[in-house]
Amino acid sequence: MSRYTVLNLGPVHPSIHGILRFRVKLNEEIIEDVDITIGFLHRNAEKICELNIYANNIIYFDRMDYLDAMNMELGYVTAVEKLTGIEAPERAQWIRMIMAELNRLAARLVGLGAFGLDMGMLTPFFHCFAEREKIQKIFVEASGGRQEVNYISIGGVYQDFNEKIINDIREFSKNFKKRLEDIYNMFIHSEIFWQRNDGIGILEPDVALDYGVTGPLLRGSGIAYDVRKDAPYLFYDKVNFDVPISHRKDNIGRFVLKIEEMRQSIRIIDQCLDKIPDGPYFNNKAKKSLMLRVKGDGEVFSRVESDNGEFGVYVRGDNTVKPYRVHVRSPAFKNISVVPVMARGLMIADLIVIIGSIDTVIGEIDR
Amino acid sequence: MNLLIRIHDWFSFLGPGVSYGIAYLLETIFILIFVGISFMALIYVFRKYMARIQLRIGPNRVGKYGLLQVVADAFKLIGKESILPANRDDLAYRLAPLIIMMTTMVSFVIIPYGSLAYFGSLTITHSDVTLVLLFGVLSLLPIGEILAGISTKSNYALLGALRGVAKDVSFEVPMLISALAIIMISSRSFITGAQTYNSLSLAGIVENQVIPYGIIDPLGLLIFYISMVARASFTPFDLAESDSELITGYTTEYSGMRFGLFYIGLFGMVYLGSFFVSILYLGAYNGPASSDLGFIYLFIKTIILVLIAFLAWVSLPRIRVDKFVNLGWKYLLPISIINLVYAGLFVLYIR
Repeated sequence: MSRYTVLNLGPVHPSIHGILRFRVKLNEEIIEDVDITIGFLHRNAEKICELNIYANNIIYFDRMDYLDAMNMELGYVTAVEKLTGIEAPERAQWIRMIMAELNRLAARLVGLGAFGLDMGMLTPFFHCFAEREKIQKIFVEASGGRQEVNYISIGGVYQDFNEKIINDIREFSKNFKKRLEDIYNMFIHSEIFWQRNDGIGILEPDVALDYGVTGPLLRGSGIAYDVRKDAPYLFYDKVNFDVPISHRKDNIGRFVLKIEEMRQSIRIIDQCLDKIPDGPYFNNKAKKSLMLRVKGDGEVFSRVESDNGEFGVYVRGDNTVKPYRVHVRSPAFKNISVVPVMARGLMIADLIVIIGSIDTVIGEIDR
Repeated sequence: MNLLIRIHDWFSFLGPGVSYGIAYLLETIFILIFVGISFMALIYVFRKYMARIQLRIGPNRVGKYGLLQVVADAFKLIGKESILPANRDDLAYRLAPLIIMMTTMVSFVIIPYGSLAYFGSLTITHSDVTLVLLFGVLSLLPIGEILAGISTKSNYALLGALRGVAKDVSFEVPMLISALAIIMISSRSFITGAQTYNSLSLAGIVENQVIPYGIIDPLGLLIFYISMVARASFTPFDLAESDSELITGYTTEYSGMRFGLFYIGLFGMVYLGSFFVSILYLGAYNGPASSDLGFIYLFIKTIILVLIAFLAWVSLPRIRVDKFVNLGWKYLLPISIINLVYAGLFVLYIR
């Protein structure tokens, strides 16, 4: 009879946000150690990318962080555009920005809902998903897809914004500000929410840097690092937005930070809608018939701020129509590796809340 | 003329022993059928209520307005295969859901229901110590939980059972002490000072409540209600079957109707607990024309209490296990002892 209980959470468990396995060494209910096993959703996306022409790889990026597909596509497409020298027209870039921010909101809403579920709160989940549904309706209008959108393409976007889409987005952003406050209040005014999260999942800034953590998790530890601000892509340097940070370092800090970032996203969307110019939405050099002959040479690394943090794509071309190598720097992979540090010495219920607060997407970890 | 005597009269040609036996049996069946139907209605109300709060529609397919959804669910559960885990302790595994279910059902027989127009008094158990009896029956619940936890050799079930027992033990004590305060207050009529009805029986306590004890002893009401909701494992306190970490706790390895029995036990407990609270603190079937409408009053008070518990269910997150046990021992227990002292002073001076 050993002193420890080994509890196996996953790969199929109601609150692990996908198929991920945690082997938790418990002393009564106190966590001694956490052992993470990944790879249950490995689909070999990076290798498959070497077999296709550049334009056909976008769908594999949709399915990495399946909740934040626009930003995944954006990461790959900006890399390929750098490699092949095909520029997207200005209007397309503004459209990409709007879509990226909308999808960031959608992904955050899923994260918040699941965070509530992890604590046993059922109600916010449905409210979050009702809002996400509106975003997905906009996606369907623009691209035909709800989640795996395949919208951002090399040299532009799949389809231009029409009046209806712009009006839908305006209406959504108007209503969403109030709905976001409702969702925020559902959590923050609950005494039990504070009891569950106050001082739980402390991540020190130096530990976060050592593990290569990015995104809300890093900003929640008090380091203002956001790719949109520090290495602006698209037109993020032409809109006003703030990068919030939290010095609490715990779950509460990260939660409030995520809500504040959603407010900033809405701010960006509003500015984009005002600034979006007329013009072509597609570069004629990247027409479908020409894509078969587009060749890339050299190596590029492009990075975007996805929902989970810094999403980097490395593409290397050998002057053929197919990439020689594609590699992805996955933020969720780095973020999940810090869980054992955060959970040690806490209770099993806290581990679940910490995983919920990090909000990983397994598709992106395993690729 | 109460229901028992009425049924007894129908069968009086069989002799007193047999006719009373039949009368008790029939009345129990009658009451349990009523409780069962109202219980199903309550689950329907809960689902609709929860759906409204969560921007959903709720059941609306089976029957008019989805009213038969609960019946359909029951048939579905019965029709499902009950999967038995391989290395189980067979007797304990089969016994556990029955203990949970039977405990709740037997408790419903002890409740004094008051009287309803034609039927007269619906109370079944005419005992002098029904309060003690009810606490005794309820103390069987942890046995069912621990049997379910250890019989399947599953870590989730074991942790769930430990939490379940911790829950029952830590909240039974404040509950008992609050009930003790009620026994003291109820022992004398505080208007005349005369000893009135037996304050150890639930019916006696109700008869003594000229004004509801919830007004005299609001602290006790609060403690008792919180403890009751906690013992029923309703959401802020549903640690024993917390689905996010322990799948469903001690019911993890159960399927089919055996799982359904646990589910009935859970919802039955909050229903029963609300009956219990409305009897001890809200005057149960007292009210104008209580000889005709008493049962209706009891029912309305109970439903209001259940709806409050439902509201907590849909709006609060789950409390953590150590904070939960602390709530029982560090807050509710001292407050209930203060409440007991208050009750003693009340009986001594204000009477």
